[in-house]
Amino acid sequence: MSFDWSAVIAALPQLLQGAELTVFIAAIGLILGISVGMLLGMLRAFGPMPVNALVQVYVAFIRGTPLIVQIMFIYFALPILMHIRIQGVTAGIIAIAINSSAYVAEIVRGSLLSISKGLTEAGLAMGLPFWKVLVFITGPLAFRRLIPPLGNQCITSLKDTSLLLVIGVSELTFTGQEIIADNFRAVEIWSAVAVIYFVMLSAVGLFWQYVERRMPIL
Amino acid sequence: MSIVEFSNVQKSFGPHKIFNGINLEIMPREVVVVIGPSGSGKSTLLRCINALESIEGGDIRVDGYSVKGGRNDIRNIRLEAGMVFQQFNLFPQMTALENVMFGPMRVRKATRREARELALALLEKVGLSERANHYPAELSGGQQQRVAIARALAIRPKLMLFDEPTSALDPELRQEVLKVMQTLAEEGMTMVIVTHEIEFARKAGTRLLFMEGGKIAHDGTPGELLANPPSERLRDFLQHVV
Ligand SMILES: Nc1ncnc2c1ncn2[C@@H]1O[C@H](COP(=O)(O)OP(=O)(O)O)[C@@H](O)[C@H]1O
Ligand SMILES: [Mg+2]
Repeated sequence: MSFDWSAVIAALPQLLQGAELTVFIAAIGLILGISVGMLLGMLRAFGPMPVNALVQVYVAFIRGTPLIVQIMFIYFALPILMHIRIQGVTAGIIAIAINSSAYVAEIVRGSLLSISKGLTEAGLAMGLPFWKVLVFITGPLAFRRLIPPLGNQCITSLKDTSLLLVIGVSELTFTGQEIIADNFRAVEIWSAVAVIYFVMLSAVGLFWQYVERRMPIL
Repeated sequence: MSIVEFSNVQKSFGPHKIFNGINLEIMPREVVVVIGPSGSGKSTLLRCINALESIEGGDIRVDGYSVKGGRNDIRNIRLEAGMVFQQFNLFPQMTALENVMFGPMRVRKATRREARELALALLEKVGLSERANHYPAELSGGQQQRVAIARALAIRPKLMLFDEPTSALDPELRQEVLKVMQTLAEEGMTMVIVTHEIEFARKAGTRLLFMEGGKIAHDGTPGELLANPPSERLRDFLQHVV
């Protein structure tokens, strides 16, 4: 068989639109997920016992169920339980946010606890309250250790958005599948989809590599 | 008037009772050297003074503030007591200068300029003017510990606490740190120093405490205690550290 470039070129505008939605969902989902995850991670590291335990259950539950089931639940089950309507894109953002928040919480907890206790004590011994030690000393140090796994999470979550095809969100993978349903050009379209993902993920990877170089682990 | 006063201090770690009624009074300008075997409670004694460890019974007062007096008292105590750790604990993301400026700016509300001037003066005092813009990782252990001393002095403490400040250093680097401490002592700084440097105790100390099993077993002048150890235990201990 021959590789039909014209099929790729014809599909490109639609595919790029799909890619745009993929980036949009991943970006908003990750911003929410990382923010919530940081808070949860701090609660895991320093929070009082009951709060800590609650977060632990949340993390275990999210990590202990497949993302695709979480997506289905948010899109199909949640509206029934809460008597609301939910858009596919919204459901997708929520799913990515919740899912990434659990992983980020564990990452944040780990990096906060990996900072030597002596540094906290040095800050406290100067008369700083604990929260200021966290904001000015240990937090920034922990953040540096956070960068590599956080970059990883961004890459994972961006790829995870492809699962949203099960609820008909027209992100990149879903768009590719729809085009193939029309033109039967599986080789061309899946190749194009793969390349577009690869370019996006490489860009994300390079961005985090740059951040890591600017803020090396100390 | 004493600057530090332990009265009947009780301290446990979990089920282990460490202090059962410690009493101790330290006067301004005293240079108190604390020695004793490992695990005898020297670090804990020091860390109770600035409330890095909490106590269950009795009271510790530092310049009138109580370690049990709540947040404000504890803050005041920590502003009056500078601490130097065995592991230096410099902030690795900051240069030597920034480490020393940090306290004045964040806890003393000094302006950047004031903090910088003070920090440069203190780095000069510990002999590290040339290293002001180096990061801790670029400094030797002895240099790091001198920066740590400058950092503690920068909050203008009335009292300095040292927990084995030279134990993590190679022998050839210890003198530069001990010299800085000796100068401080000569200037009249009140100091409590946990150390195994017996020579330093003899030269710079005005008072020597020998701790054993969570008790202050001997309390006297370095001259007397070192020349005529009053107990077999102290004599043994001195033979092993020297
Ligand atoms: N954080 C802690 N948790 C439990 N036990 C501790 C802790 N810190 C010290 N201890 C115990 O308290 C005793 C005194 O310790 P420490 O004050 O560090 O002794 P020293 O400084 O004289 O070596 C030791 O038995 C030690 O094991
Ligand atoms: Mg100790």
